[in-house]
Amino acid sequence: MTNASPLDSAAIELDGLRHRYDMDDVLRGINLSIPRGEVFGFLGHNGSGKTTTVNILTTLIRPTAGSARVCGLDVEREPMRVRQLIGYLPSDIRMYDHMTALENLEFFARLSGVERPRSAALETLDYLDCADLAGKRVGTFSTGMRQRIGIAQAVLHKPVVLFLDEPTAGLDPSGVRHLRETIQRLNSELGVTIFMNTHQLSEVAKVCTSIGVLNHGELIYTDSIENTTARFPDEASLEGIYVRVEAGA
Amino acid sequence: MVWNIARQQLLTLRRSGTFIAILATMLLMTALAGFIGWMSHHTIIKVYDETVRLLTAQGKPIPANPFDSKPELALLSNLAIYVPLIGAILATIVGHIAMMEDRASGAARLLFSRPISRSRYVIGKFLGTTIALAGVLAASAVLSTLSLVIVNRNVPAAGEVGRLAVFFGISLVYMLVFALVGMAFAITSRNRSFAIVAALGVWLVLTFVVPQVTSGLRPTTSLNPITDPVSTSQSFFQVTAHARPISVSEQYKRVSASVLQTEPAESPSRSALRVVPILALALLLALGVGGLVARHDYSRGLQ
Repeated sequence: MTNASPLDSAAIELDGLRHRYDMDDVLRGINLSIPRGEVFGFLGHNGSGKTTTVNILTTLIRPTAGSARVCGLDVEREPMRVRQLIGYLPSDIRMYDHMTALENLEFFARLSGVERPRSAALETLDYLDCADLAGKRVGTFSTGMRQRIGIAQAVLHKPVVLFLDEPTAGLDPSGVRHLRETIQRLNSELGVTIFMNTHQLSEVAKVCTSIGVLNHGELIYTDSIENTTARFPDEASLEGIYVRVEAGA
Repeated sequence: MVWNIARQQLLTLRRSGTFIAILATMLLMTALAGFIGWMSHHTIIKVYDETVRLLTAQGKPIPANPFDSKPELALLSNLAIYVPLIGAILATIVGHIAMMEDRASGAARLLFSRPISRSRYVIGKFLGTTIALAGVLAASAVLSTLSLVIVNRNVPAAGEVGRLAVFFGISLVYMLVFALVGMAFAITSRNRSFAIVAALGVWLVLTFVVPQVTSGLRPTTSLNPITDPVSTSQSFFQVTAHARPISVSEQYKRVSASVLQTEPAESPSRSALRVVPILALALLLALGVGGLVARHDYSRGLQ
């Protein structure tokens, strides 16, 4: 289990988090604490509740019961302050196709209250090595290019916590590699805490510092990658560990 | 923040082929209204001049020029037909794009992960829509004024400019009603095509079906701002006559006809009363759209 020091202010705290969609219990009382500076991989099968958890943490939906806090701020009581601290990259990132990458980023920078939005957008594109995309319309972009602009949108206001929902979906191997390097840079150079929903266990093993496994709305496992590999020494890959965790080992 | 939302919406509209096509049609029809006015004016004057020549030769008295007694704005009477037809469709599409673009593009999820409240978002959308429609009507107003200058060969008097301004102001409120209908369906529908078809269905009902009932099943009144026919004693028509205020399109056409002086003038208070149902509907719809945005689950995409 990843245990935060009492002196640390946790980046994310879930306390008995529940959510119902129609008549389905999508989340069944999740308790989780993620310290700042972690790269957390949130694993689980399709429909396990990963995206719902991110939707609650990004203030898009309200939990049915329990609480969720980002950097100590309750997502229900202080959604505006939470939004100032977070960045979000949805699974199928799509922005305004008729606008250029720079226009899109300027727009989102203004919404985030960034001073000098144009400079911030250009600096972010430069930091993410995609300054060449600035003047091109997003509608002409490949999945990989959209993903890079999506990440730029998510970090241009310098968030404390970054939520990535299935960020590798649809990416080719070089896109996955670029994304991995970006995540590592954001975490190590800017100290951004990253919460990543994913199915790509190989990527989790490469970039995450800790993981959690969600199964039918219940958090059945959470620990650091180090402890996890030590706990299952006979498993060569995270995939084998994941299967055993899901099976209740 | 509100202005950012409005500005983004205006940029979206500027690059929307559908909006540009309908805007071009609207402006073309406005120009056409002026051209038709000029054509009829030209023909009547030609006949009048010929008649004057004949009557002078015969030593008979010459009748007055028919345009001396006709208000100059009457040349633009067709505008009161084009606004409920093309203008309202344009407004429906502007409202549809305002809300649907964010949902369909998936940008709504990004928007609401940024520090913007839903009330500011919806106010920004209202502002963007109002500016877009006001821009359309301003372009129509410029074309209309040019038509008047060309046909009448003089600059419209201050009173006429004022009447034109009132007409376009009322038209803006009327078009906002349909923009709000477009917005409401764009928020609530799970399917993009259904949203626009349903909104246009409401336009059809308000423009053609309701006036049929409230004007005593006289189909011509659904298009033309004509005066009341001889009153009838049949109870059905008495009931429908009382239901007339609920027909916003009929109220719009009558108040427009009065402002443009294509119908006998009515008192300002009566004209103002005709605007009340349009304003009330716009206000109700605005509140409804605000409520829908506040409650909508933007984490879910379109089907």
